[in-house]
Amino acid sequence: MNASKALEKTLVASPERKLEADADLDVVRKVQAGDVAAFDALILKYRERVVGIIYNMTSNREDAADLAQDAFIKAFQSINRFQGQASFFTWLYRIAVNSTVTHLRKNRLRSFFSLEAVREDDPVSKELVDALTDKTGVGRDAFVRELQEKLNDAMQKLSIKHRTVVTLFEIDGLSHQEIAEVMDCSVGTVRSRLHYAKQLLQSELQPYLSK
Amino acid sequence: MNPESKRKVTVEDLLRLKRAERPPAAFWTTFEAEIRAKQLSAIVNKRPWWHGLSRAAAVVTRYQLPFGAAAALAVTWAGVHYYSVSPSGVVRVQGPAPEAPVAAAAASRTAETAPVPVVLAETSVRRDTPAGVAQDQSARTAVVTATSSHITKAPSEVTVDAISKSPFADGISVSLADYRTPSAEVARRSVFGSDRDFEAGLAPARQAPSDPLARMDPAEERRARLLAPALPAYSATSRRALASDWIKSKSSSDDRMYESMDRGSSDRMLVGFRF
Repeated sequence: MNASKALEKTLVASPERKLEADADLDVVRKVQAGDVAAFDALILKYRERVVGIIYNMTSNREDAADLAQDAFIKAFQSINRFQGQASFFTWLYRIAVNSTVTHLRKNRLRSFFSLEAVREDDPVSKELVDALTDKTGVGRDAFVRELQEKLNDAMQKLSIKHRTVVTLFEIDGLSHQEIAEVMDCSVGTVRSRLHYAKQLLQSELQPYLSK
Repeated sequence: MNPESKRKVTVEDLLRLKRAERPPAAFWTTFEAEIRAKQLSAIVNKRPWWHGLSRAAAVVTRYQLPFGAAAALAVTWAGVHYYSVSPSGVVRVQGPAPEAPVAAAAASRTAETAPVPVVLAETSVRRDTPAGVAQDQSARTAVVTATSSHITKAPSEVTVDAISKSPFADGISVSLADYRTPSAEVARRSVFGSDRDFEAGLAPARQAPSDPLARMDPAEERRARLLAPALPAYSATSRRALASDWIKSKSSSDDRMYESMDRGSSDRMLVGFRF
């Protein structure tokens, strides 16, 4: 029963997302009516997620900040073209992903990491690091730093499309259907890309995986 | 890896670690200030004119099916409007009687020579016959409407409406008038009545083929030139006209002068003139 619910959650958008989309649509209608300040609420609501997506795609926090700002400005300038057929966050994600893909294609040869620090106050990450190492203190920080670099290196070895799918599904938690809407492709294509990307990541991160 | 830990680490777990990569609080302060400035500049700055083009292109892309259908419909309507043949107002070509055989002869000639297929159409030719002749002359005659590749698609019947509505009405009417006007010379002589009549009519006008070099036999000319002093009548009775009279008289006088030279003495030469 739980497995079927989890599978359904990966395939289609959750009901919470639908309620969230309805609330966003009201704010968008206000902005379209001329209430420019209402757009700030949308920026505050989605800035962390948008920056997170772009950061995980570029592995550079400065580029992530610039691209996220540009995505919000583009959305603000084109807000009158939003008709509400899709949810606002899907529309905003598409703008952000397209801007990032364009940026990555332009700067294909120039890529360097500028990583954020891993917060160990998150219980999930703390448990994971505990499972990976028994070191403490400086040794533990160095291990986490090395693992972080290996993860970003493995992500950058993926193609842009596969990296986008992995970012949206595994890190941001979007469903297959939502990813298909964001990337303007079929759900089958999303699954195929996700399967292939995981295989590549598994081979790259083999030393850190349990046998 | 901690061997005592029973937790299995998967790729999904490692990717979940990336969720914990979050920027510090100071990052968001800078982020908010920068996005505020960009938002204000986006409001103040006037968007360039080509952004309107991109918006129009987006609209066209969204409604490409109706736009495409409308364009196809317009092209079809224009084609039908300018090139259709309506059944009313047919201009019947009423030419003189000899036109039918003339056209038939031209058709047969073209069919023999032209490699392209000839399109034949049956057109009723109403012939004006004298009163009392009860013969129905409305014979259905095969008339060539096109004899070459570039006029293969010419219509056999031209409507008045189509001509008057066409933007090229003046040019078409002039061409049609030229086409209808029979060649007076041809019609009178009926040269093209048939192939044989044509050959027979033109045969007397022809000249027999003659080779200019046949009259310029060098051996005969030399013989005539040498025999002229001795046999003055030779040139007159020659079977062929070797040259003009002036050339003959000049050459004979030169030969006489040459023959009259006295070469008896070595130190002097006597030349006698005869008049």
